[in-house]
Amino acid sequence: MIIGQIIVRESANGGGELRHRDDLKCADGELTLHTDPEDAVGLALYDDAGAYRPLKTAPNLRHGWRMVLADGAAARLALDSFYPGRRGAFAAFQAGRLHPTPLRETLGRQTGMYRVTQKITEEQIDALVGSFCRSDGGCLRTILWKRDTAGAAPSSLLPSEKFDPTHDQSGQTREQFASFVPLLCQEACNLLVAKARAVVKGKSSSGKE
Amino acid sequence: MNSTDPSTSALLIVGHGSTVNPDSAAPSLVHAAAIRRRRIFGQVACAFWKEEPGMRDWPFLFDESIRDVYVVPNFISEGYFTRTVIPRELEMDGAPGAVTPRPDTGQRWHYCEPVGNHPSMTELLLRRAREVAPSVPERETSLLIVGHGTGLNDNSAVAAKEQAARIGAMGQYARVLSTYMEEPPLIADWAKLTDTPNVVVVPFFISDGLHSYQDIPVLLGIESEITASASERLRQGEVFMQNPRHLHGRNLYYASAIGTEAQFADVIVEQAGAGSV
Repeated sequence: MIIGQIIVRESANGGGELRHRDDLKCADGELTLHTDPEDAVGLALYDDAGAYRPLKTAPNLRHGWRMVLADGAAARLALDSFYPGRRGAFAAFQAGRLHPTPLRETLGRQTGMYRVTQKITEEQIDALVGSFCRSDGGCLRTILWKRDTAGAAPSSLLPSEKFDPTHDQSGQTREQFASFVPLLCQEACNLLVAKARAVVKGKSSSGKE
Repeated sequence: MNSTDPSTSALLIVGHGSTVNPDSAAPSLVHAAAIRRRRIFGQVACAFWKEEPGMRDWPFLFDESIRDVYVVPNFISEGYFTRTVIPRELEMDGAPGAVTPRPDTGQRWHYCEPVGNHPSMTELLLRRAREVAPSVPERETSLLIVGHGTGLNDNSAVAAKEQAARIGAMGQYARVLSTYMEEPPLIADWAKLTDTPNVVVVPFFISDGLHSYQDIPVLLGIESEITASASERLRQGEVFMQNPRHLHGRNLYYASAIGTEAQFADVIVEQAGAGSV
């Protein structure tokens, strides 16, 4: 199974091995072995260069590890740390219970320091989403939300595949794997809302986030 | 939760989080792992305001086998976040003790008191004060509890004020004051607010994050400018604040945030209504 940048090779009891997709051909001995699913929190924390990863679905998951897990519960715990909420979001999608929230609705309910995001212009949204959410260097999620209740596309700068749950946002082949779990985005994340504030305030970053 | 099956009960710890460094979320994640090891809940998860999973991911955090979810805000005070932001984002009734049914799954979500309301906070603050300044005579020492203080909601300062009053009533320290970053009495005025040779400052914060690790040391005069984050300095092999600092002719001791205390895991469990384990 593939989820984001991770390959899961499942064993009969639901456990199995997790590793970075780029490390598929590495010998086991070349990778650092982890057997505690709680280690996933630490592995997801920094990228290869040691930079903090506030966005877990950014395409910068650290390399060089493999995780061998005893059972399905351990595998689920690890995946929920690597990609919080995404396993559950896909299950809800499959069950017809995933209800995306338009961006304008997300911004419209903000209070306090984020209330100002309601002033963001259509042009600013187009540029921000086109840059921040792009799969190449931004975020590997598949966007399911619309810009507004009228159904406008989030950004004209993103390709149609960005909104297609059957498309692998990593751009890599997935033919050889039995199943594929897309990282679905049902609502703009807190990081995008924070960036929207910075855009409205005319800053490149709001600093105290 | 005592009357329900632990395997079908879940705990959700809600924290603030940060998009800048991992220090804000760290205590919530550490306490979640500690509570998970005790196996008193079927599932334990965190959700954050600024990090992932975001609170709006609430429908995806627990399996269908879970019947009851106990939401514990890992916040020091009742206020803007516990009364407005968390209930809104989790789509819950925000009254402490309120139960919100989830029609899609049949789950019941219980909104609990924030950790800062727990009676053990007073003892934890005192323990922190003693740990950071173990050999100073308390009668020659002022203890300052630092809270955030904000214009958004008056309740944010109440918790620190109540703790200072409780500790002051014990009569151990020469003086006990609540101080704030953004409203008077300001922590930046610590030297004017005290007249003892020793001053112990304990941040009444959840994490060694932006405020307690980076902002307050500048306000105290320990640092001339904002330093790297706690996690970054640790990665570079530096230790936490060195104590005491000699400033304005006094011995100034600055403690780590109270929420990093391991006993906070017990507090979270008790706020969830699970009782002592």
